Amino acid sequence: MSAAEQQTGARGPTIRERLLQSQEGIVFLLAVVAFLAFSILLPSFLSSGNLLVLVRSVSILGILALGMALVVIARGIDVSMIAVMVVSVSWAFVITRAGYPFELALLIGASFAMLAGIMIGTLIAFGEVPPIFATLAAGSVIYGTGRTFFFTLEMQNVPPDTEWFRLIGQGNVFGIPVTVVAFALLCVVVQLVLRRTRFGWMTYAMGNNPNTARVSGLPTRPMIVAQYASTALIAYVAGLILASSAAAINARLFNSTMIYDILLVVVLGGIGLNGGHGSVRNVILGTVFVGILLNGMTIMNIDYTIQNLVKGVVLLLAIVVDSLVNPRDEQTSQQGDL
Amino acid sequence: MSDVIVEFRNATKLFRDVPAFRDVNFTLMRGEVHALLGENGAGKSTLTKVLAGLYPLSSGDMIVEGKLRSFASPADALAHGVAMVFQETNLVPSMTVAQNLFLSQENFFNRLRGINIKAQQQLQRLSFHVDPTALVSSLGAAKKQMVEIARAVQHNARIFIFDEPTATLTPEEKQHFFALMERLKAEGHSVIFISHALEEALEVADRISILRDGALVATDQSSNFTRDRIVQAMVGRQLKEELYGQTALRKGRPPGTKVLALENVSMGRAVRSATLSVFSGQVTGMFGLVGAGRTEMMKIAAGVLKRDFFHGGRVKLNGRNVRFSVPRKAVNHGIAYITEDRKLDGIFDTMGIAENIFFGRIAKGSNPASVISMSQVRREAAGWIERLNIRTIRSSAKVVELSGGNQQKVVIAKSLIQAPQLVIFDEPTRGVDVGAISEIHDIIQKLAEAGAAVVVISSYLPEILAISDRVLVARQGRIVEEMAIEEATEEKIMYAAVH
Repeated sequence: MSAAEQQTGARGPTIRERLLQSQEGIVFLLAVVAFLAFSILLPSFLSSGNLLVLVRSVSILGILALGMALVVIARGIDVSMIAVMVVSVSWAFVITRAGYPFELALLIGASFAMLAGIMIGTLIAFGEVPPIFATLAAGSVIYGTGRTFFFTLEMQNVPPDTEWFRLIGQGNVFGIPVTVVAFALLCVVVQLVLRRTRFGWMTYAMGNNPNTARVSGLPTRPMIVAQYASTALIAYVAGLILASSAAAINARLFNSTMIYDILLVVVLGGIGLNGGHGSVRNVILGTVFVGILLNGMTIMNIDYTIQNLVKGVVLLLAIVVDSLVNPRDEQTSQQGDL
Repeated sequence: MSDVIVEFRNATKLFRDVPAFRDVNFTLMRGEVHALLGENGAGKSTLTKVLAGLYPLSSGDMIVEGKLRSFASPADALAHGVAMVFQETNLVPSMTVAQNLFLSQENFFNRLRGINIKAQQQLQRLSFHVDPTALVSSLGAAKKQMVEIARAVQHNARIFIFDEPTATLTPEEKQHFFALMERLKAEGHSVIFISHALEEALEVADRISILRDGALVATDQSSNFTRDRIVQAMVGRQLKEELYGQTALRKGRPPGTKVLALENVSMGRAVRSATLSVFSGQVTGMFGLVGAGRTEMMKIAAGVLKRDFFHGGRVKLNGRNVRFSVPRKAVNHGIAYITEDRKLDGIFDTMGIAENIFFGRIAKGSNPASVISMSQVRREAAGWIERLNIRTIRSSAKVVELSGGNQQKVVIAKSLIQAPQLVIFDEPTRGVDVGAISEIHDIIQKLAEAGAAVVVISSYLPEILAISDRVLVARQGRIVEEMAIEEATEEKIMYAAVH
């Protein structure tokens, strides 16, 4: 963390840090190159319609990545985000159709997401289950519960007579899509929380050295619960925006590669999977690059399977580079943690 | 019993210019049991690890069976007949004894029956009564050692090294183990064993060597040693007199109120029914050898370790029963535990000094969401940097870039910012540069002057004598001796600590 460094403006010129910076630099350059290449090679890339689609879809990915960054900085991982997102949003819509007021239904959806996050966090903090397994299993449980008890249809349309809700996904503020504004706003909020609050500082501390955090007397277990609850809530917000822009939410997203896209954004942006560093800036960087990549490939009409292959290879490369640039400290690493 | 099988000539091992041992001349005869004694950190383990191929020598020669050798790895050492049996055995618990014996020697296809028969023959030849088909996880500590030894014999080992083999054994198992060493001796093998138990060494060893501060101070037939002569050889020192010289005349501070009391506290095998008290306004020194359970006792008090729920005994803070399940609860009750291993659980290494210190403040706060004032962080840090004299090139330096002593001061500041009533220092000067040692001792004294209850755990006797007002000696998970500083001497303390 570099809160004090930002104040003094002096940066420690360690090799690892230089590499980190160059990793950010490389990703930024790649993003620029990809953007220029697509602009020249694909005539439809620069059209206003496409750019609009690009920033909208990218914003949702970015919001999800913000949530993921929160747990990854604290040395966790949450692969249940998509499950939480589709189930809580779909349920909110189902409840509305059943006759509840829309606003109340949205609150219920939010509570469900929170509850799911708290449950997962409790499993990790008190049950001491490695985060990857806890969230992997919990994701399936949440999705299964949703599909079994809350709704049976895959596709849940946004309930009628909710004009203001449609505006979130489709409206503009001073010509900027509301989606983008929401992403920007969340970026500011998350950045402030991470850099200026106890919650944020403790998050970095837990990622930096969980043992020190515990022995120093930081409330590591409640913090883990709070982190996963926050992430679930952010996933819910992303889900609402997604539903609003598409006028529906599709539960099948759970089976898509979206969660890997999120991880791709986080790792590629430079937030190491071993925790303790990275910030919102890295999320924005990763989002922009991945967004351009995905959009360009879609316009080029590249087959979906090949797109996945490309994404997979990039993710693999990013993780390898990450583990080279941020080697996990042998002394503090434990078997089975991720 | 005549020819030399291992010889060290002027052997020196440096770790980053700090000698673990220097100019050691050591010989091991064929068919002898050789005990290696010394305080913690005297260099015994390092010496044997060089022989077992874990480290190379920095200078000097190691001659094994007449040839100059330098082993690249434990496997290399084993190939040349040297086997080291560690305290925690290197067996695969989910496999049978026979499978473990033939580990890494399996054929491409294995017949379990064939292996079992071969293992049975091997074990019988050594007259070890172990069932080759039993799972290793079902065996006791002594039987595991037997298996480990049988495996070493299987690999044609002729020199056996045991590092604290008896520390975890019951008295009965110990007798088994000694019989086992006799058998190895009878087969013409040589044994080096490191121990803290003097009686054992006197009883079973043919010769005894004593290391002190990295130098070999005595080697002789064990019949020429007495317990007193060993203790004197272990502690008699002239090094660092200037740093610790003023001890003899010091008078201890009187005890204040009883802050912490442990009553019959137990935890597994490390702490067995320990009872002790700590008073405010004075420094309580805790001495003990490796495995005595000092650190564990204090970690239980500080909530870092959890004790047995039903039979764990009582911990009293200011006369009231407390049970801390996590360190946070202890911190909120004014207990600070300053770790013996900074890197593991003392510092946030890539964060700055100011941030590290401020986490002490954050830990004691109640509202996790509140906003942090950067000016407060810098102000408080500046105060502590000045008070503890933390030296750094840049104010924004990361803790990992500091020297050991300054890192330790940051860890101390992180705890003292919480204004604790009880401060536990676990090996406060381990890995600390010489200049910072006396500064850290000053910090400890000032804390006690100011009325806090201070516990200092140390493996270094002069340190205990230099800073304590009261000395507790731990042995085998208990406090076995308590003395005022006026009556404490190195010999007395060491006498109580060994067994």
